[in-house]
Amino acid sequence: MIQYIIRRILQFIPVLLAVTIFTFTLVRIIPGGPFDRIGDKTLPPEIRANLEAKYHMDEPIWQQYLRYLWNLLQFDLGPSLKFRTQTVNDIIGRSLPISAQLGVMSIALAVVMGIPMGILAALYRNTPIDYGATFTAIFLRSVPNIVLGPVMILVFALKLGWLPVARWQSPAHWVLPTVTLGTAYAAGIARLTRGSLLEVMGEDYIRTARAKGLREMIVVGRHALKNALIPVVTYLGPVLAAVVTGTFVVETIFGIPGLGRHFVESVGNRDYPLVMGTALVYALLLVSANLLVDITYAWLDPRIRYD
Amino acid sequence: MLNKKWSIALAVVVIGTVLLSACAQPTPEVVTQEVTRIIEEEGEEVVVTEIVEVTPEPTEAPEEPVTLDWNLGGEPPQVDPALSTDTTSVLVDEQLFLGLTDFDDETSEVIPELATEWESNEEGTVWTFHMRDDVPWVQHDPATGETEVVTDEDGNPVMVNAHQVEYAVKRTLNPETGSDYAYVLYIIEGAQAYNSGEETDPETVGVTAVDDYTVEFTLRQPAGYFPGIASMWVARPVLQSVVEEWGARWIEPGFIVTNGPYVMNEWAHQDHMTFVKNPHYYDAENVQIERIEAIMVTEASTAMALYENNELDNAYPGPPLEDMDRIREDPELSEQLTIAPDLCTYYYGFTNNKPPFDDPLVRRAFSAAIDRVSLIENVTKGGQRPANTFAPEGIFGNVASDPEIAPWALDPEMGAEMAQEWLAEAGYPDGEGFPTITLMHNTSEGHRTIAEAIASMWNSTLGVDVEIQNQEWGVYLDTIEKTTPLAEMPHVWRLGWCADYADQNNWVHEVFNCEEGANRLRRNCVDETCSACEPSEFDELTAQAGQLTDQDQRRELYRQAEQILSEEEAAYAPIYYYTIVDLTKPWVDRTYQALAGEHWDKWTIDWEAKQAATQ
Repeated sequence: MIQYIIRRILQFIPVLLAVTIFTFTLVRIIPGGPFDRIGDKTLPPEIRANLEAKYHMDEPIWQQYLRYLWNLLQFDLGPSLKFRTQTVNDIIGRSLPISAQLGVMSIALAVVMGIPMGILAALYRNTPIDYGATFTAIFLRSVPNIVLGPVMILVFALKLGWLPVARWQSPAHWVLPTVTLGTAYAAGIARLTRGSLLEVMGEDYIRTARAKGLREMIVVGRHALKNALIPVVTYLGPVLAAVVTGTFVVETIFGIPGLGRHFVESVGNRDYPLVMGTALVYALLLVSANLLVDITYAWLDPRIRYD
Repeated sequence: MLNKKWSIALAVVVIGTVLLSACAQPTPEVVTQEVTRIIEEEGEEVVVTEIVEVTPEPTEAPEEPVTLDWNLGGEPPQVDPALSTDTTSVLVDEQLFLGLTDFDDETSEVIPELATEWESNEEGTVWTFHMRDDVPWVQHDPATGETEVVTDEDGNPVMVNAHQVEYAVKRTLNPETGSDYAYVLYIIEGAQAYNSGEETDPETVGVTAVDDYTVEFTLRQPAGYFPGIASMWVARPVLQSVVEEWGARWIEPGFIVTNGPYVMNEWAHQDHMTFVKNPHYYDAENVQIERIEAIMVTEASTAMALYENNELDNAYPGPPLEDMDRIREDPELSEQLTIAPDLCTYYYGFTNNKPPFDDPLVRRAFSAAIDRVSLIENVTKGGQRPANTFAPEGIFGNVASDPEIAPWALDPEMGAEMAQEWLAEAGYPDGEGFPTITLMHNTSEGHRTIAEAIASMWNSTLGVDVEIQNQEWGVYLDTIEKTTPLAEMPHVWRLGWCADYADQNNWVHEVFNCEEGANRLRRNCVDETCSACEPSEFDELTAQAGQLTDQDQRRELYRQAEQILSEEEAAYAPIYYYTIVDLTKPWVDRTYQALAGEHWDKWTIDWEAKQAATQ
């Protein structure tokens, strides 16, 4: 197992290198550059030249790439071209922890809500409990964050006054964004758990377990659920990577200083180093999350071995 | 089962933390104190010293400072005055750094700030500014909350002086600084050569400290608008020693040294900034607001919710469009709504050398067929004013809303009628034989609805077909460059223009002059992609007006220029003058500054009213 993990981690290197090549090329292919304009105004060529010289963008493209790689080896993601007095390390360093906190809390909430909901729906298949759970899941899944967020603010902050409207200052401030972000995933998890559990419950070994006279609780909890969770874990891996690196909509609605908005805005600003930085962080988290998923498989289903 | 246990435990932890922290009561502080007593022990007096825990009587809370809760609308990207380009950074600069001149909140006229008076030579090429000598540099320590005057080696206070103005101007122009806005200083002799690296000696730049409090600018050509340029952030003095000591980080709290009415106390990036009053500011006794909590919420509906919850004193970036009807009907909110003129114009550019828009009759017909009144009432809804000229009110030399210039732009009925006549005269009666044209805008919901409304006006009034296209902002600005091949260029495209300084030179000349301006309209071009142009009367007028010092004469020339541009040539279609739509709490007595940053130091708050409402 340890060997497997080490091998997988070594495989990260070519993957991340490919990500740098792709993003480096792609952002430069998009028309427009970081120093073209102020608002609606086009910058004079002299000014653009000064800025390009300052940020080494007057060098041949391969040299720029090598410079980037060299800095990257020293964990330096370069300066931001939009927030010019800050570095990409500064920006990611302070906003990733906030996004990660929100992301982990949301996924935790999603798991806590989703799995029991799915189990109930599966065990009481085609009863009002199943319909209720399924309806709730579909409803939550269908309401986008951009609608749910403002509605939550309206009800719980403005009308009832229970919670703060927005921003990220105290645990009370965490509640609405976490719930907004978590519920949609909870719904996804509930649907997956239900479907997968139903499938597993039809397997022979469940019949065997029942034939042994085990209580239904044990049959479901110990024998069925563990296997049924494999699709859920598969789903959670990439979701975790995506949510931990921030979500544009929720962070914008609740005024949270997270990383999510930089994914979107850095492209609009043609802030090349920040685009690269966010892409790399996301890629790193994604490959790590996938590794975590594969490790979890082995634990959930002893038949899966990697040696 | 393990899984379930794990989930439940996690849930308990998460929910528990949230609840506990939310409900935590402040516990009374316990202080240890050393107490010395004399006690009688077995008939003898003994001195005993012991440490006891005491719970201090709750003392009365110190009076809260008068605080303004403001939304900046986002992180200021570059607070360094030499690098600032956006309104948020400029707003921050306005609190921290004084300029030689400033703009009046009511009239947008140039008024004294660091310079108490100024004069030029007869030709208007040499400008001398006489500065006040009582403005100290201060440094604020966020840890102690103290603001100290910066002192030199001998312990004397360091005052803002002419040498620092000279340094700041040369620093902005230094190519290594990489200042986007350096080009507004190109009017100064030698500035462009130094900034472009043609000349490496900063001494060749026409700015000199004549003595400690007199600074002189030599210009490359006469410029009656120069006092307005002198107000700009890129020319504001900064302290060389601090900039050089800390590099890019000199603008962070704790390092930054400033001279304005407020000092920066805290900068939590992307979240909030706090400013506190500078006690050493020369006019400190007239500054009432002591503290500003400036948050950085980008989403308009969230800012609106914070405003309605009394957590903000303004609703910047302005109430969302969908709330406007509700605000107008609400007796309280409608009172708090202000629609102030902004120094920006929304316009549609015509590609002047792309047929059929190479015909002034066609262009005029398209401009006249826009029903600006209905557009504002039904689509934009922000109380904007219909535009018949380029520069809005508040810009020196503007002729906005003058009924003698393109009156058809202000009167929809007359406009529709004349538009049809002109199009027929151009050879396309009822739009017959007119090709399908393209109208392009940058991707945005607002621009799209405006484009759709205007396209349908053109369709119904002129009988022409319009294809609407959109592109992402960066791509879009590339497309509408004058170097784009004509075939790829849309016939009509949208842009806006906002003032850098309140003078027509910054408007008609810098935007439209075919030789010295951006000339995206491709007026008078000798070839398709406009490698050169043949200046016409308009171009000569704006060039000449920039160089005169007689202000009345300048006004007259700009009037003629606007008349040619907006009516005769109809080179573009002005659509509306922007407004600043905002809500302000009734306890704030404020002004509006459209040109640079708001003057928080000139505002007042009815503190009792605010406290009563927010507690």
